[in-house]
Amino acid sequence: MAQIPAQTLHRDPQLFYWILIPITIVMVLTGVLRHYASVLMATTPKKADIKTIREQRALAHGANLKTNYHVLSRKAFETRRDFLIDGFESGAYLKNPQQKGQPPANPLSDPNAMEGMMGMMKNNMAMIIPNTLIMSWVNAFFSGYVIMKLPFPITIKFKSMLQAGVQTKDMDPRWMSSISWYFLCIFGLQFVYVFLLGSDNAASQIAQQMQAQQMPVGPMAPGQDPSKMFKAEAENLAVIEHYSVLDGVEERLLERIRV
Amino acid sequence: MPPLLLQPHASLSHAEALQVAQQAPEFLRKNPASYSASPLLSLFSPPENSKIWTIYENLLLACLRTGDNTTAHQCLERLVVRFGASDERIAALEGLVKEAEATNNGELEKVLKEYEAILAEDNTNTPIAKRRIALLRTMGKTAESIEALVQYLDFASTDAEAWIELADLYLSQGLYSQAIYAQEEALVIAPNAWNLHARLGEILLMAAESGSEGNPQNYLAGSLKRFCRSIELSDDYLRGYYGLKRVTDKLLNGDSKAKKSSESDEFTLPETSTIEKLNLAATKKLGDIVRNYDAKAPLWQGYDAGEVAAARAYLSNTSQKVVR
Repeated sequence: MAQIPAQTLHRDPQLFYWILIPITIVMVLTGVLRHYASVLMATTPKKADIKTIREQRALAHGANLKTNYHVLSRKAFETRRDFLIDGFESGAYLKNPQQKGQPPANPLSDPNAMEGMMGMMKNNMAMIIPNTLIMSWVNAFFSGYVIMKLPFPITIKFKSMLQAGVQTKDMDPRWMSSISWYFLCIFGLQFVYVFLLGSDNAASQIAQQMQAQQMPVGPMAPGQDPSKMFKAEAENLAVIEHYSVLDGVEERLLERIRV
Repeated sequence: MPPLLLQPHASLSHAEALQVAQQAPEFLRKNPASYSASPLLSLFSPPENSKIWTIYENLLLACLRTGDNTTAHQCLERLVVRFGASDERIAALEGLVKEAEATNNGELEKVLKEYEAILAEDNTNTPIAKRRIALLRTMGKTAESIEALVQYLDFASTDAEAWIELADLYLSQGLYSQAIYAQEEALVIAPNAWNLHARLGEILLMAAESGSEGNPQNYLAGSLKRFCRSIELSDDYLRGYYGLKRVTDKLLNGDSKAKKSSESDEFTLPETSTIEKLNLAATKKLGDIVRNYDAKAPLWQGYDAGEVAAARAYLSNTSQKVVR
């Protein structure tokens, strides 16, 4: 089978200077701007008050005892267990003890939760608005012709993506239009941003999407009733069957030394 | 092992601290006084990383320890420029510098007042709360210090460092059972810390020797087990072996007249033969450590000179008794 002759198109070299470079520069600059805008808009995380901290630490204390009870003697463990179960069940560690047993507040009406959502909204907006603007700018000024040829062959499926705005059936999919250069920039500029702004910059959106997916799940997810969590923890403590690593440690040690 | 400059400062010996402090002027000269946030300048200046700030903090502490207050001020200044004076940690460091420079009790009182003012505004400020407790202790107000620490632990019950400090404070007052309780809490947070196990063993041994409260036999049994666990977690741990030898000696020398411990839930002593074997093993190991340390064996130099000296003194002391 004969080799298909390579397609050649004569392009004005000016295309390169007046389309590729401007799009790239604009993309980089918006990324930098976005970074600084989100730094400015970021709100400092609100400090938890002493009651909240106490509630969380008490839960963690119970969990610690639950996992590490084996370092204690039976008597020492039982003292602590009884003390903690008492405190957990009577609600002594609760942030506001009078709310015990009431259903948790609606997260939408909780101002703290609202703030978190507003923060996410702001971030998303900072991403969507500039992207829409640039895309319409690219579309308005530079659509309808190809500007470059990729240096590697790709399959026909990419045609609709790379040659958006150029409806020519027989053209090799390696030819790409300005809008596809724009898309390449969106995904390809990560490292430029990392170089310019440091690794934890707000401009690279992929990183942000990753963050959004693995939202930190704190020990107290909103909407959970702390008094129920304390109850559960108290039950966990109550059913522990105590043993101690110190039982028979002398024999174990002698065994090891002798070997 | 991280380089000396990055190690937590409290673990350094005096000589090492001096060595660190002497590097401070050099380090200050080599690094820029401040880092610009502008993207253009950051292209041309050396990159900023978090290690630098750890080093500044360590240098600050080392300089204070060796009395080089001017360099300490320079370190502090850079930290303040970077993080702002209102940052909790920086505020605590600032207070620390003031404490170090105070020459009389009145000035310390003033620093204490400042801490209290900060805490009145924000009672969750951990570094300042800890500074206040430490300062109270330095000023000899141990009771107040204990009270403040207990208050702090009420809301931060997962802070092992604070529990250990509390144990130490109680111990200094001779309140053994409270000290033991606090030390056990620290162990619940860090169950495999062999040094905490050995420390608890030491406290139990002291409690048994004071004999003021409780059954000494019980304390000794607990102490023996703690030291064994400590050695089990870390072979060649000098303090563990030293304590093991002390406690087994004590158990073997007399004291056997004490009634067999009651059926209580506390630990029971093992057979006398086991104790003897443990004593032998501890003596042998301590001898090994002292001999190799003195012979400058390359792999045995990690011990603290003071601890080795104590072990040597104790060994010669007991062997004389045996000869006699």
